[in-house]
Amino acid sequence: MNDLRLPPRAGEVLERSSPVTFTWDGRSYTGLTGDTIVSALLANGVQVFSRSFKYSRPRGVLTASFLDPGCTVQVGDEPNVRAGHRQLTPGIDVRPQNVWPSLRFDPRVANQAVGRFLTAGFYYKTFMRPQRLWPAYQHVLAQFASGGRTSPSAEHGDYDKRYAHAEVVVAGAGPAGMAAALAAARAGVRVMLVEEEHALGGHLRWGGATELERLAELRAAVRGEPGIEVLVNSVVTGRYDDNWLAILQRGLPHVVERLIKARAATLVVAAGLIERPYVFSGNDLPGVMLATAARRLINLYAVRPGTRAVVLTANTEGDLAAADLLGAGVDLVRVVDARRGEGITRATGRGRLRAVELFDGSRVDADLLVTSTGWTAPTSLLNMAGVAPVWDDTSARFRPPEDLPDTVFATGGIVGDGSLDELLAHGKAVGTAAAARARGGRPAPVTALPARPHPALFRSPTHGFVDFSEDVTSKDIFAAAQEGYDSSELVKRFTTATMGPSQGKLETVNTVAVLAEATGRDVGQLGTTVWRPPYAPISLGALAGVSFEATRRSSIHAWHQAHGAVPLVAGQWIRPDSYGDAVAEARNVRCNVGIIDVTPLGKLDLRGPDVPKLLNLVYVNKWSKLAVGSVRYGVMCAEDGVVFDDGVTGRLEQDRYLMSTTSSGAAAVWEWLENWLQTEHPEWQVHVTPVTTAYTSINVAGPRSRELLSRLVDGVNLEPDAFPYMHVRTGRIAGVDECLLWRIGFTGELSYEIHVPASYGLHVWESLLEVGDDLGVAAFGVEAQRILRLEKGHLIVGQDTDGLTKAASAGLEWLIKLDKDDFVGKAELTWASELPARAPQLVALLPTDPNIVPAEASQIVREAERIGGRITSSRRSPELGRAICLGQVDPDLATSGTVVTVQLPDGRRVEATVMTELAFVDPPGERLRA
Amino acid sequence: MPDMTFAPVARSPIQPQDQLEVVGGWEVSRRRSSAPLLLQDLTPLAKVLVRARPDGQLAAALKVPSGRAERDVNGTLVVGSGPGEWTMLAATGKAHDVIGRVHAIADDALVSAIDITHGRALLRLTGADAPHLLSKLCPIDLDDTVTPDRAAFRSSVAKLTTDVVRDDRATSRSYLLHCERSSGLYLYQTLLEAGKEFGVEPDAFLDFDE
Amino acid sequence: MLILDCPHCGPRNSSEFRHAGTSRERPDATSVTAEKWRDYLYTQQNAAGWVRENWYHAMGCRRYIAIERDTVTNRTRPSDARGATPRGTDATVGTSADSNQETAT
Repeated sequence: MNDLRLPPRAGEVLERSSPVTFTWDGRSYTGLTGDTIVSALLANGVQVFSRSFKYSRPRGVLTASFLDPGCTVQVGDEPNVRAGHRQLTPGIDVRPQNVWPSLRFDPRVANQAVGRFLTAGFYYKTFMRPQRLWPAYQHVLAQFASGGRTSPSAEHGDYDKRYAHAEVVVAGAGPAGMAAALAAARAGVRVMLVEEEHALGGHLRWGGATELERLAELRAAVRGEPGIEVLVNSVVTGRYDDNWLAILQRGLPHVVERLIKARAATLVVAAGLIERPYVFSGNDLPGVMLATAARRLINLYAVRPGTRAVVLTANTEGDLAAADLLGAGVDLVRVVDARRGEGITRATGRGRLRAVELFDGSRVDADLLVTSTGWTAPTSLLNMAGVAPVWDDTSARFRPPEDLPDTVFATGGIVGDGSLDELLAHGKAVGTAAAARARGGRPAPVTALPARPHPALFRSPTHGFVDFSEDVTSKDIFAAAQEGYDSSELVKRFTTATMGPSQGKLETVNTVAVLAEATGRDVGQLGTTVWRPPYAPISLGALAGVSFEATRRSSIHAWHQAHGAVPLVAGQWIRPDSYGDAVAEARNVRCNVGIIDVTPLGKLDLRGPDVPKLLNLVYVNKWSKLAVGSVRYGVMCAEDGVVFDDGVTGRLEQDRYLMSTTSSGAAAVWEWLENWLQTEHPEWQVHVTPVTTAYTSINVAGPRSRELLSRLVDGVNLEPDAFPYMHVRTGRIAGVDECLLWRIGFTGELSYEIHVPASYGLHVWESLLEVGDDLGVAAFGVEAQRILRLEKGHLIVGQDTDGLTKAASAGLEWLIKLDKDDFVGKAELTWASELPARAPQLVALLPTDPNIVPAEASQIVREAERIGGRITSSRRSPELGRAICLGQVDPDLATSGTVVTVQLPDGRRVEATVMTELAFVDPPGERLRA
Repeated sequence: MPDMTFAPVARSPIQPQDQLEVVGGWEVSRRRSSAPLLLQDLTPLAKVLVRARPDGQLAAALKVPSGRAERDVNGTLVVGSGPGEWTMLAATGKAHDVIGRVHAIADDALVSAIDITHGRALLRLTGADAPHLLSKLCPIDLDDTVTPDRAAFRSSVAKLTTDVVRDDRATSRSYLLHCERSSGLYLYQTLLEAGKEFGVEPDAFLDFDE
Repeated sequence: MLILDCPHCGPRNSSEFRHAGTSRERPDATSVTAEKWRDYLYTQQNAAGWVRENWYHAMGCRRYIAIERDTVTNRTRPSDARGATPRGTDATVGTSADSNQETAT
């Protein structure tokens, strides 16, 4: 043990008997269990932890906490670790960041010499023109980027998320926060107490005997209250609408970090106070630190922060720091009391503090300068609740206004000052009120905690750093003001002050105060910048966490996989695109018989006496006279007349229908029907039940489909007269009862769509293949189906139509019945029918060169290089042995026989002829009616 | 007429791994586990979706409001799964019985009872850590004061719309979860993955009356 | 994230719902003028203050519900017509994707 480690302190968090060995910058060091990386290194005589962002100045300890701007390090593969907060663990490999080529020597120190180039706005002015050099500038600027390194091969850890619910969440577990949590729990509500540090207690932890005694009592009380869930090393990083809180939990055994999404009825913000650095020349030298830092190092980590100290104090904390330094055996050479008008001018030294110059002109040799010149209330969470902090001249800090939103409370130092008893009393009163509010009560307002007077101290007569992370000085802010950036928000963006890793917690007030000085205004007039989430940095891992994305599979999925299916991800569904040769699969359907798994087709069970009214409303065609056992094709439009889904609906029984939708439209159509039933026609008696995956749906298509099915179907006469095209039957298939058979044909062949109870889907599928071997039955995938339907000229909604395609322009004019009573889209379709067609029309196109298949979305160009349409679908037709297309063309190009010019993606142009009908194969439909 | 005899076997979307047995026409696993947290695939149970007016005679006869679940005299678990909507869970193969009983209750308005056995996957999660596992996936407050035994709700579980029924066993917390069949495997695998830290294991299928 | 107090399910995260537009009366499509109809289809008031909105509880009861929301503060309260049928939901087609709106950032 070297002499920098003090004898045991009453409040220390160290386990003296448990040394921890680790490496720093390649060398081995030993600390103690309970040490942070910073305290362990300080105890070993290390004082420089990083090089600054712009000027590469050596930086040491400033706050000795999470916020410490100079103490960001790399631990193994993990960059940007806050060494003032992270506890030592055995064997960790800690390295400095942003130090090329080494921590001790850094050529960029030369930047200081050229400092005038790097003043505020340097980047904006220097790297703007010419634009062609931006890539080069990017390369240069990348050298300046601070931050650690991640390795692509680094093992990514596990992150976690969970939801939590508490009536009261208390953010901050200092004395007031603990008192609030206790009072709320004793009022009978569930409480979550969240503390950023590793232990409860706030400033009591580095206090004297009295504070430690009271802390022990408070901790025991919290432990004894089962209604309080305590989270340490955790931080409320964001407050969103209705007290939706993001809480980051660190230091867990199984995961790197966990993001808790907590819903609180009331939020108590007890974030305490953050000590504010003082601006003077040399204020970033290693050896210059805040009073709270010195007190934490001495009392929590038993580290002597220096040997010869000057203390600049304007408050009790500074006085207590001076006392702690004396108690730690530090030579306290001068206490400069700002309350008596004393002050310091500058600190000097090369690479570390050597001397301090005082207002009286004297120069004091010292290796430690402790400042205690004021406080900042970290009001972030209150800001996020819509509360703007107000400048208080008396206490020289921004404070939250007394009037807070109903569900948000504040207590402790963030609100005001007081003795420990006063803080505890305020916390208790606020906790009680928060619990009452959480239970819907209207508690009386809690008497405010007043703030004590404090001298307004921001800057000495010299210029120093305002933002240590971003290397922004008070001189930069004066320069910015001179250039006209005269508001807090503008100066922030121009100088980047407050935009570094500590996000303004140390810097904001000094930035505003220096700007006020530079522009001759008051701090209160300027106001603070707005604090937004996150309050503390969150790793991307915690945000991403475990990501959930539901997938959907049919009952036949495992079979598809086992038979070489190429997977097609269609929304949430995973479908077989093909089993290797889509063209052969399509040919087999035309010659023999194929089966395709069409389970994702939306299926809605419609029941009730008013189903025909619903169908008449949502489809453009007529449904009143659909007989039991029949099915009909229908198209749905939105209120603007644009096609949004199509499908067939069959009448199974008197009051029972089955509607099918497109696979991608299944959810939307269901909500659409519910919308009309619930909001416009609640009097209609209809029940809509989605049964999409209650059935496994298989299309059996091809000239031999009837023969194949006849070997499996029981109880249904499949003969053409008994079961004609566009009809539906119920029967038994391969021993499975309650199967539905529709005689419809997307492929253009004789085909049956069978819907079997999903648990038997695989059984029926395998039975079809088994009994149809001699018929040449084979599975086909989505791609083969696309080829077949294109040959038949069947459109796909959303591919051959778009967000502007009204039903009439999609070749569906024959379907629309404008003589119906109201139906969705009728008004627009009626007006459209009264005017000459202006919208593009869907037509079939035959490319002149049979061997060129124009890519889908190829433009159709017309005279004067105007666009006259586009190809919506294209394939090589196995049946015709040539290219075929569907496309949307201007109405004047839609006449049969018109030759249009298609521009291919590579710029070549080919010709195509507009056909009379959409179908290329079997236009009269003899095959599917066979 | 087909000249072959078929012996159809019903299968859950969650393929059982070992100790396979056919129970009530369904292929299930009978492998028991003694882990502290158990996940069972109960998909073979009969499931019937009933719709009627929330203020009609059927609702009055069922006496189960939305958000609650109760067992009726036949042992059917009647879940009030929405306004005017009930999900009934019964032993394997009993869907038609349940539908028959529903239609036997007179109501002057439209009543529909649909067998959704094949349209849903049904899981049971049992063990003291069940609420802790669910709180990783589901935003609903599972505290006793909010979601006591026999509470029912539909919400998001791992971003999947899922019906959850708290149906405690004699000695431990237990939740029934059912979702749309095609996502059953997703839900099952997600629960197993998220439950690793609690030692979750698959457990054998048990019919309602077993 | 907002809480919406569903009259059927109680308070739930807004990510369970799909916003279905501000409540409006659907004109009678058989007699309406084109101008009025298109005003209904495309013109949004986008009022600052309390508005009555419809939401579809996609991951819950699957009911369309009416909620009042202050578009300035984002506070919500049950609609005056609580439990009553919401009218004039958004005429555009929508799907409630199971989208991840829950990430708290």
